[in-house]
Amino acid sequence: MVLRRDEWLDLARKVDWTPRYVDERELFPEEISGRPWLPREAWRDWNEAYRTTYREYVANQREKDAAVLGVRAALSKPRLFDDLDPGWVQLVKFHNGAVALAEYAGAVAELRMARFGRDSAWRTMATLGALDEIRHTQIPLLIGHDLLAYDGNFDWTHKAFHTNEWVILAARHLFDDMFLAADTIDLAIQLNFVFETGFTSLQFMAMAAMADRAHHHLFEKTVASIQTDEARHSQIGRPVMRALIENGSRDRAQYLIDKMWWRCWRLFLALSGTAMEYLAPVSARTRSFKEFMTEWVTEQFVKNLAEFDLEKPWFWDLFVEELDYAHHSLQLGLYTYRTTLWFDVAMPDRAERDWLNEKYPQWNETYGALWEELERRWEAGGEAGTLSYGLPALCNLCQLPALFIRPGRNTACTLEMGGRRYLFCSEPCRWIFQQETSRFAEHKSVVDRIVAGDAPGKLIDLHQWMGLQAPVETGKDLRRGLDPWRLDPVPKR
Amino acid sequence: MRLYLFGFASDDFLGRVVVTPDERTVAQLADQLVAWGLAPQRGGFLTVRNEAGDILDPAATIAESGLGNGDIFKVERG
Repeated sequence: MVLRRDEWLDLARKVDWTPRYVDERELFPEEISGRPWLPREAWRDWNEAYRTTYREYVANQREKDAAVLGVRAALSKPRLFDDLDPGWVQLVKFHNGAVALAEYAGAVAELRMARFGRDSAWRTMATLGALDEIRHTQIPLLIGHDLLAYDGNFDWTHKAFHTNEWVILAARHLFDDMFLAADTIDLAIQLNFVFETGFTSLQFMAMAAMADRAHHHLFEKTVASIQTDEARHSQIGRPVMRALIENGSRDRAQYLIDKMWWRCWRLFLALSGTAMEYLAPVSARTRSFKEFMTEWVTEQFVKNLAEFDLEKPWFWDLFVEELDYAHHSLQLGLYTYRTTLWFDVAMPDRAERDWLNEKYPQWNETYGALWEELERRWEAGGEAGTLSYGLPALCNLCQLPALFIRPGRNTACTLEMGGRRYLFCSEPCRWIFQQETSRFAEHKSVVDRIVAGDAPGKLIDLHQWMGLQAPVETGKDLRRGLDPWRLDPVPKR
Repeated sequence: MRLYLFGFASDDFLGRVVVTPDERTVAQLADQLVAWGLAPQRGGFLTVRNEAGDILDPAATIAESGLGNGDIFKVERG
């Protein structure tokens, strides 16, 4: 008699055997299985809300891949760029470079849990999660490869994570901390509970909604497909969180949440905030970045915290304040340092400025004059006048420029330790650094490396060091200075 | 001695690295920072503070003001 699914699934999920030749501590060493090291009984009730089998997984994934590849085939290569806004193309290039190989790091993290997670159902979920993340690497690589014929910089889909480009160094610093240098308990909280349930819905669902309106149906299908995987394997976080809370590790759980919320916020405002509001065409924008963050990330995450009676991170007020300006400041940094990027960056046109001011009533007062000054400089002295030539101050934790300020508001701070003075963009970055100084202290930012002579100080040599072949690969003004209020229609690339 | 400092001008959006000899004055340091910002033509009196918020004497040298490698200074107009 063939058993029905429900009759064998629980047995298949829970195949925790009793080790005979080693004890459990040797099988699951604390250094990699995580602290606190809890007895086997503490994990016995580990349960995922949505259960699946390998057979179901393969069938579902096959359908999802077929849907993505079907759109790719229907569009056919010669039409991949048809009707795409030039800013949107840059958004995809930015997204692909920053995300594709980060997903591969995610696969390594899931595989660590697949071996060292303390419960077999957890290990099974993580095995499927690893397959997910490999898929999330391969699909952008495939699509990025298709786009190479039209824009050579799409090779940054694969290349970016192998370079010293500064945005990528910042991303890698976070992903190394969150994915690659973490034990399985920290992974489950940081990757699954905070990053995936908190933030990736923003990157994938919001981007999918925008891609639909930008008529980029292949990208829409890809990111929406990825998000369904994320939603499944992100559920690893909850039962691990429950085990921590029930076994006296509430403080550790709260620390991991606080730390990773801030670190993810920093990277997402840099990647998603700027891309959504300065590269996506106005017609594709369904909500502002702040509205997405508030509705899809913040509100949902606060509910998750309440479920476990956890507190909002201690810096919550600063985070909420930054929603109004941090990514706008970063965009000015990206624009004026655009030759150090692998994608082009836009100066907002009149319609975009009106939209920004409608969504952020202080935008024009705070940032409008700075953009107008850049315009005047272009008029007076050409593009060279719109570039920054000095070095930006980089944070020794998030590795991003210390520009989370607006005129009149500055949150940068320093720390003297071991004969070295460290710079931080904000108090939360300094606080995280202080909690784990041995983890972070020896890392050098790009500026530290230049000052120490480990990286070249001349811009042309620095481009080379970052992996950017100037002038072909280096980022440019999206419209090459031919702004739409002077030349209509905007020429397509 | 040459120092590298992190300067934040109140009408700028970005902290900038300033490399300077420490025998220059605090006023010269402030001028160097705002010259790289987006509104150097605005002019006017510049107030310089250290990270703790203490106002630095514009006539003092950078060395005399107590600023050292890796320190923050802030420049406000008016």
